[in-house]
Amino acid sequence: MTSFDPQMLLSGQYHDMLVAGLKMSLQYLFWAFWIALPLGLVIALFRLSPYKPLRWIGATYVEVIRSIPLLAHMLFWYFGVPEMLPVSIKEMLYEGPVESICAVVALGVYTAAYMAEDIRSGIRAVPGVQMEAARALGLGYMKTMCLVILPQAFRLTVPPLISQTLNMWKGTSIATVIGAAEMMYQAGQVESQSFRSFEAFAFASASYLVVSLIITGIAVWFQHRYPVRTM
Amino acid sequence: MKIRTLAAATIAAITLVSGVANADQLDDIKKKGELVVGVLGTDEPLSFIDPKSRELVGYDVDLGRAVAQKLGVKPVFKQITLAARIPELQQGHIDLLAASLTHNKEREAQIDFSLTTFITGQKVMTKANSPIKDVSELAGKRVATAKGSSMEVNIKKAVPTANVISFDTSPQALVAMQQGKAVAFVNDEMSLVRAMVQLGDQRKDYKLLPTIISIEPLALGIKKGEAGFKKVVDDTLREMEASGKAEGLYEQWFGQKSSLKMDKRAFKFETDKVAE
Repeated sequence: MTSFDPQMLLSGQYHDMLVAGLKMSLQYLFWAFWIALPLGLVIALFRLSPYKPLRWIGATYVEVIRSIPLLAHMLFWYFGVPEMLPVSIKEMLYEGPVESICAVVALGVYTAAYMAEDIRSGIRAVPGVQMEAARALGLGYMKTMCLVILPQAFRLTVPPLISQTLNMWKGTSIATVIGAAEMMYQAGQVESQSFRSFEAFAFASASYLVVSLIITGIAVWFQHRYPVRTM
Repeated sequence: MKIRTLAAATIAAITLVSGVANADQLDDIKKKGELVVGVLGTDEPLSFIDPKSRELVGYDVDLGRAVAQKLGVKPVFKQITLAARIPELQQGHIDLLAASLTHNKEREAQIDFSLTTFITGQKVMTKANSPIKDVSELAGKRVATAKGSSMEVNIKKAVPTANVISFDTSPQALVAMQQGKAVAFVNDEMSLVRAMVQLGDQRKDYKLLPTIISIEPLALGIKKGEAGFKKVVDDTLREMEASGKAEGLYEQWFGQKSSLKMDKRAFKFETDKVAE
């Protein structure tokens, strides 16, 4: 049995590969977040809309997306969706980093369903009288939402949204199945080239842990700094 | 404090893993009454699920069976992924690897190999209308292959600037090439011939590039330092060669009777040495 060799993690070719993977995972997290959050907000508003067809679209989105594993989403967005695009767009996409684009979209679309539910529950937690009061002041539905309800819901919603971000961070690892060169992929590459499984996955695990702890830290800080006001 | 506990636990875990004593594997297998054979189950005709009977069959599977029979124990087949093959063997989760395993010098440091059981070459498949005429033109191009495979390493050796994208299984890599996400697909020649057969009418849309990127001797994988067990495995293979069973297996899975219709067998089960 060979012993743990920290040197290969600190410098050299394997270090470079793992760090490149870490950077790519962080980029996935960043871009997927900016897909998931706005999309989640729109879906949440759909679900709370006074119009039935919009509520129906929102509910369908959440139920369908949530019921299918992230792994299936990844494979679908990579092997399925691009094939349905017009040829010119498809070829343009295939020229570029298609693995990364598909991974980010899959991750964003998937997390949006969970974020929508968090945002919806936050909005629902704002007492109904707030809506009534705003409407009594003569504000329309959209203005009531933007000026009265959403700002109050914000404090309630941010901690669970941060926790979804944490899930999304771990979800980036699934992109390895579509050949995207994120951290788990690179750890696998280092393993198959060096046969040092323990070191490669120790690096990956430690990186996931550190980033997760940072995200958790942000959630704790936010709750401390912006506590939910008694309503 | 917490960090200290964590560190202590980690050190304890490492000591535990490294400190496990190696009993003789041959005795263990006989005592258990079963031989756990690691197979891919996704690589026809080496090991795959027969669509009719839903059973695991193939060349590798038959070799595993033969070793179990020689030992007088029950063969138990365990499906594993390409990338997990060597760790699974090293950690003792399986006794014998019969998993489309290439015998090469790099891997000799990790595990032992039986006599060579099959020889194939690795080649590159592209679309027939692709402007690429040979392997060297893959420089800077996207090339799909299977994760944790020797193809991954060999294509990098053949064309260092190729952009290699690896998938969990070879069929996924082939689909990525068919869809245009990569210009080429690397696999061993036997698997490529099989893929061509499966493509049916579409096979005219694809071609194999002429250069062989590496000669691949396949063998069964054995945990390092298990001389007693290795001898039994090699003896089994030698007996199969002498009795003509080895030739029969080749004919059944690769020869004219099979769907691959490959040429006559040009190797024998005789050596466990490979070239650098």
